[in-house]
Amino acid sequence: MKNFYPQQYKADEVFKINHNYLSEQFTDCDEILEKIKSIVKDNDFTLGSTVDEVEKLIAKEADTKNAIAVGSGTDALMLSLKALGVDKGDEVITTSYTFYATIGAIVTAGATPVFCDCREDYNIDYSKIIEKITPRTKVIMPVHWAGRACNMEKINEVATEHNLKVIEDACHALQGEYKNKRCGGLSDIGCFSFHPLKNLNVWGDGGIITTNSDILSEKLRLLRNHGLRNRDICEEFAYNSRLDTIQAVVAKHVLENKLENITKKRIENAHYYDLILKDILEIKTLERSKDIKEVFHLYLLQAKRRDMLAKHLQSNGVDAKVHYPVPMHLQPAARKYRYSKGDFPVSENLAENTISLPVHEFITNEQIEYTCNLIRDFYSKS
Amino acid sequence: MMKVPFIDLKREAKSIGGELISKTKEVLDSGNYISGNNVNKFEIEFAKYCGVSDAITVANGSDALRLIIQSLDIGPGDEVICPANSFIASAWTIIAAGATPVFCDVEEDFLLSVETISKCITKKTKAIMVVHLTGKLCEMSSLQRYCNHRNILIIEDSAQAIGATNKQGEKSGSFGIASGFSLHPLKNLAVYGDGGVITTNSQEVTRKIKLLRNHGLINRDECIVWGFNSRLDELQAAYGLLKLNYIEGWTEKYISIANRYSSELTDRITKPKTEEGCRDVFHNYVITVSPKKRNAIMHEMLSKGVETKIHYPIPLHLQKCAASLGYKKGDLPNTERLAESMISLPIYPSLSENEIDHVISSLNNIIKTSH
Repeated sequence: MKNFYPQQYKADEVFKINHNYLSEQFTDCDEILEKIKSIVKDNDFTLGSTVDEVEKLIAKEADTKNAIAVGSGTDALMLSLKALGVDKGDEVITTSYTFYATIGAIVTAGATPVFCDCREDYNIDYSKIIEKITPRTKVIMPVHWAGRACNMEKINEVATEHNLKVIEDACHALQGEYKNKRCGGLSDIGCFSFHPLKNLNVWGDGGIITTNSDILSEKLRLLRNHGLRNRDICEEFAYNSRLDTIQAVVAKHVLENKLENITKKRIENAHYYDLILKDILEIKTLERSKDIKEVFHLYLLQAKRRDMLAKHLQSNGVDAKVHYPVPMHLQPAARKYRYSKGDFPVSENLAENTISLPVHEFITNEQIEYTCNLIRDFYSKS
Repeated sequence: MMKVPFIDLKREAKSIGGELISKTKEVLDSGNYISGNNVNKFEIEFAKYCGVSDAITVANGSDALRLIIQSLDIGPGDEVICPANSFIASAWTIIAAGATPVFCDVEEDFLLSVETISKCITKKTKAIMVVHLTGKLCEMSSLQRYCNHRNILIIEDSAQAIGATNKQGEKSGSFGIASGFSLHPLKNLAVYGDGGVITTNSQEVTRKIKLLRNHGLINRDECIVWGFNSRLDELQAAYGLLKLNYIEGWTEKYISIANRYSSELTDRITKPKTEEGCRDVFHNYVITVSPKKRNAIMHEMLSKGVETKIHYPIPLHLQKCAASLGYKKGDLPNTERLAESMISLPIYPSLSENEIDHVISSLNNIIKTSH
């Protein structure tokens, strides 16, 4: 079997307005390389002191007491479930509108994912969670999709009432806020990804977990490093999931020098799209809420004749993408849970109509105008 | 006083520093950080080096073994035999897959054998995890005969054994249904962070692992099995690819240091033996001494500036994490005795002749005066 990503990246190259901005982002790589050289002196390649520093910085960002760096966003979710004692026979309620990793993490932890439909804003429908609760339910795992916080007040309410834990899949939502509180700090545990295409990215896979609980933090530190209390004593058999020190150097650099601007620019770009697109009838942008600071990992909208529009944009140099065309409950991997089409009408409808436009920090107003004009043309001609 | 650290990674990084930096820049310029050309090339070259059809890179050595076990559909109710004198990751991977590890004893050479595993075989035995500890191959031909006959799979833990061969020149990683390697910074072939590789001749194993390591995706939008994220970063693959050019030379260096130790260290300690025609790659050089004197000898070595270690002081079956498996002291007598007797001496390619001299004379003096 071939890896498909290189092809995907190559395809990106023909576009003028790309989703993938990585070659533009690290023009200051010499500065980072100098910092990497200095860690070589310390023989400090795994769990080094820079990892500790990144943990402190992220804890500050998420406004939590602790942060624990791990191998990837997927591992962050899986280890969080494990830290809460999730195991075989347990159920985890999550949204059907998410990336595969949310579900992969639940299954890897040994539990059964129980899907819940989402709302028009792509986030889990908090009013339907209660129907999904059974005696086996242990955790609710909401996803702050695209960088827009879920209604955490409602979700936490349900959780408290039924004695459940909440893990935020905040992989899209670093610096996002719900009622002036940061994502990742809105529940028992928050999980972030440092994947190259995330708002805060490193040069490979990486992730981090945030929590206010010292007990969970200590447990997670064991779980990510073979269950080792020290070199020779193993408290419990556990995983290897560590953020490389090299990647921590990159993360620290981005955190200290770029993140503020990345978030700011994405928000500005999104608002500019909102402004121009609002009078195109065939397009539905999301209603913005005063309670939520969205950080726009993705800029999503619902479009009539979505696939045709995507083609039109792509053939004109705009790398429009679909995140994602098939909801989780309809994936081949979910067959054994016996869901069928029609079970989650909102998710299914969004999956058919959603399109994402490039919104990263290198997108200019001219590019946004160009893209919006293409959309206008598409609908006026047809 | 001369100081000989147990390991010093910056020496190697310094010797190839220029190349490392230019490789880094290459990857950055490509804008491609995950599963690109460096990963593909490294996998091809690694497979070639081990003499197998496929190599699949993953996030670390633990994941390599875990993914192998899962790809073989070994799970709850199944037993996998493995030695107790190994790094905990070996046993964890069995537990992570939902199966039960059954710890077997080892021979004087620290390795399991047909004799030690045969005591552990039950109807539930699905596989044996052979650990080529310190870079020495287990006796594979007799193990293969024994296991083939009984329909038991062999999984190799080659984390310490890249480049080790038997008399026929067959390499570590080419014997079992699949083999797990680690690229951890302390390994003979190391990257600058965590990394792992799986080798196999089974297309079915390759197919399953390629799915499992990348969210179970067959393309961007279709997920056919819930998987994990366990990938080797492009950067680390580029470093691995670069260092594959050096591995033969470095391995020879490990062996020549081991040869010096073996010929010049006093015969009053027990030294590792390499069988004629085999190639042990000495990830560690492990001697054994009287348990009563072991800690004192290590202490005196340290006072002479030589750092030594124990791999590993507490066998897996006696670790706290293994409590629920129901083992007790005395269950694996050889393993337990070795754990109390062993000392690992510094061994790495950048060790200088002077440093080797110092290790040898220090140890010889300590042994002489302690008797």
